[in-house]
Amino acid sequence: MTAQSLSRPLSSGQMPPARLLRIGATLLLIVAVGLFAAMAPGFATASNLADVAEQSTVLALLAFGMTLVVIAGGPDVVRGGIDLSLGANLGLCDALYAAMSNAGHGDGTSALVAVGAGAAVGLVNAVAIIRFGVPPLLATLASMNACAGLELVVTQNTVLTTDSPLLGIVAGPGALGLSTTDWILVAMTAALLLVMHATPVGLRLRAVGLHPRAARAAGLPVAAMGAGAYVAAGTLAGLAAIVQAARLSGSSPGSGDILLSVVLTSLLGVVFSRRLQPTIGGTLAAVLFIGCLVNGFQLVNVSSYWVNGIEGVLILSVVALRSLLQRPG
Amino acid sequence: MQSRTMSRRALVAATAAATGIVWSVCAMAQPQADVPTLKGKRVGITVVGTEHYWDLRAYQGQIDEVKRLGGTPIALDAGRNDSRQIAQIQTLIAQKPDVIIEQLGNGPVLQPWLRKIRTAGIPLFTVDTISPSSLNDTTSDNYNIGEKLALQMASDLGGHGKIVVFNGFYSVPVCAIRYEELKLVLKAFPDITIIEPELRDVIPNTVQNAYAQVTDMLAKYPHDGDVAAVWSAWDVPQVGATQAIAAAHRTGIRTYGVDGSPDVVKMVADPNAPAGAVVAQQPYLIGKTAVDNAARYLAGDHQVPLYSFVPSVLVTKANAAEAAKSIAQGD
Repeated sequence: MTAQSLSRPLSSGQMPPARLLRIGATLLLIVAVGLFAAMAPGFATASNLADVAEQSTVLALLAFGMTLVVIAGGPDVVRGGIDLSLGANLGLCDALYAAMSNAGHGDGTSALVAVGAGAAVGLVNAVAIIRFGVPPLLATLASMNACAGLELVVTQNTVLTTDSPLLGIVAGPGALGLSTTDWILVAMTAALLLVMHATPVGLRLRAVGLHPRAARAAGLPVAAMGAGAYVAAGTLAGLAAIVQAARLSGSSPGSGDILLSVVLTSLLGVVFSRRLQPTIGGTLAAVLFIGCLVNGFQLVNVSSYWVNGIEGVLILSVVALRSLLQRPG
Repeated sequence: MQSRTMSRRALVAATAAATGIVWSVCAMAQPQADVPTLKGKRVGITVVGTEHYWDLRAYQGQIDEVKRLGGTPIALDAGRNDSRQIAQIQTLIAQKPDVIIEQLGNGPVLQPWLRKIRTAGIPLFTVDTISPSSLNDTTSDNYNIGEKLALQMASDLGGHGKIVVFNGFYSVPVCAIRYEELKLVLKAFPDITIIEPELRDVIPNTVQNAYAQVTDMLAKYPHDGDVAAVWSAWDVPQVGATQAIAAAHRTGIRTYGVDGSPDVVKMVADPNAPAGAVVAQQPYLIGKTAVDNAARYLAGDHQVPLYSFVPSVLVTKANAAEAAKSIAQGD
């Protein structure tokens, strides 16, 4: 999707397709939330919505990472920026944190290793993609496999139970009746929104992704910014791993399962932006939308199996709509 | 020789003592004729996954019994994902059902969340999950299962040989019990040794993975007599192991497992298949019994036993045909 294709000349009174889609998606979100609020007992309570946010934090951090990568690499699903290793990276970092903590290392060291490992995986992706020109889809598919294998080496495919003061804080209550995990989501969202909208980084990253030649001609460090996005995504996976470790009291196999939701929310997030571009705010809206769907379905006692089907339909709808809008003429 | 006899006697005595202790804090599954109604009650049912025969039958047993007793089940399948199960439990607590029944899952991951269920004032019953937060755990007697499976294997092996062991789910309490019982029994049979390192069974692709791992082990130990048996704490890896042994024509090797899925009982019944024995449980009855216990509790009977044990059957080559019939009737 390019900005040009969305701003083709329109006859007077005709609504731009991007705007139409954004309004439609926002209406869908409002209707879904409204329906759940009316039908599902307890849905609209502050504590339940705080639960939704808490349950969405790991996914949100990973989806933010994916969003940064897509912004910097361009939104083409096949050739553009994508990081398929995020789910496996989460599992590896979680396992490393648990193993380090169980080996008697303090919170600082364990957290540093977990976040450092996440960033290192991001760096490997960046080198493969930026330095050696491997397509992101293939490079991150390979690193996904490597991370999953390393996680098995660390955990022997077993649950690693751990407990530490840091995990107690992350899983525990925070200010204003919210959990610390909720506040982590608020803080990371605010920080990323600030970076992407209140500093030149956001605009430059978007320029690098959408118009790399122009960005290079303008003197922007295209390669460094592209690489930086992958490292940032890896770092976010490391942070998400600490949140996950707090929720699971350690590390448990199966983290890679989250990848589909990460891809879904980063794709879905674009319909909440003005120009159908990936944004942090849009991704957050998509993550919370999916979180509300899962939560609301459970509250109205609709089988959880439906959620998987709906996620699939949403992916297909968003990708189809974007493809339709991209079609020339 | 004498010391071995002594150790076996000690084992039997220890087992008897342990059984006595366990018996005093538990009860066999009670008849269901007197089960009170669940009309107007909402029963939260949370399971970690249902892709395995045992899981699905126990899950279905709970749902059917809640409906039969007039209650409303809030049934949640986490698709074998711990994070999802935790999120479902968190939302379930907010729903404030009259009672929650939790089935299987990773003990260490679940414990803090099971505690939160009780802290929220919701009665908690479990199926196959040992937890200090649970009012009652309905399960098979896994101490007994582990012991009789290991003794059958030791007997089939004539007291000597190397065995391959799948030990990938020690974090699941019932698997840990069966494994520890295996080790306890093997103390009395010093000529039976476990090949190190032990293998890790996985989910998903359990059968394919077990097939590949056992094929590799057979290549590593290529001679007849190098490997005498394959043991696993459940019977899905046993399927892969049995198929791998049959494909390699290593007819001297036998497989042992737990659960009694119909396809595995058939394998044991087949005189030419390498499946040596399987302990068949009654998962549907286990699920049903858990709901009955919860219904009695909600009706005011707070003297629920800590454990309800549902009988299991050791299926061997000798009794497979007969056992298959009784399993079909009971479950």
